[in-house]
Amino acid sequence: MWLFILAELTVFALLILAFSVTQQLKPQLFGQSRQLLDTSTGLAMTLSLLSAGLLAALAQVQVRQGQSRRAAWLLLAAMLVACVYVGIKLGEYRHLLGAGLGIEHNTFFTLYWILTGFHFLHVLLGLLILAWLALTAWRHGYGPERCSGFESGVLYWHMVDLVWVLLFPLVYLIG
Amino acid sequence: MSSSIFLLLCWLALACLSLGSVLLGQSALVLLLALAKAWLITDGFMELRHGPQRWRWLMLSWALVLAALLGVGLYLRG
Repeated sequence: MWLFILAELTVFALLILAFSVTQQLKPQLFGQSRQLLDTSTGLAMTLSLLSAGLLAALAQVQVRQGQSRRAAWLLLAAMLVACVYVGIKLGEYRHLLGAGLGIEHNTFFTLYWILTGFHFLHVLLGLLILAWLALTAWRHGYGPERCSGFESGVLYWHMVDLVWVLLFPLVYLIG
Repeated sequence: MSSSIFLLLCWLALACLSLGSVLLGQSALVLLLALAKAWLITDGFMELRHGPQRWRWLMLSWALVLAALLGVGLYLRG
């Protein structure tokens, strides 16, 4: 799992660096375009992802204590909280498209859509993984002695969080 | 301290740092806060403080190198 996570982080690092280098080349364009994004929306998405990460980590504690049903409930809560991110992100995408700020609008928005869209797809995959973990935990498929699969799934979610904490300031704040 | 309390404290710190990032706005200090958040996720949520040190340093280096490169970029642009 660690190798997979490292490979994913490498791909995100290349995209983040591409965004940063292009920002060096077109600082004015990036500054003006960034002002069209809502920082408070970015903060709300950050809190949603981090809260889902907390609930997933708490679920892992429960699995290790043999409380798999409680872990399933916590994962369900994590998924609901993560759905707040999905809802806000889709709202942001809809708003931007409505304002004509699609992927072809300018270089900033091309990279914005690629970077955040790629991350968004990872969140969706993370949600599917959390759902699978919750279902298996509900059926007592995990326990203190057999939780490595559970830990790998939760790690994937934390990787999604880790990427976002660098992506958020780069896209929404620093200019 | 129990694991659950520790995780809650990590989350609280992460939430405060996120709010601080927004309040700082465009300052390059935001990168330092992002680095602190990456450390909390790696050592706290991912539990790598107890895990294999090689992977821990790889995860931390990922955030450190990226934040450093972004910071250099900002510095060069003035």
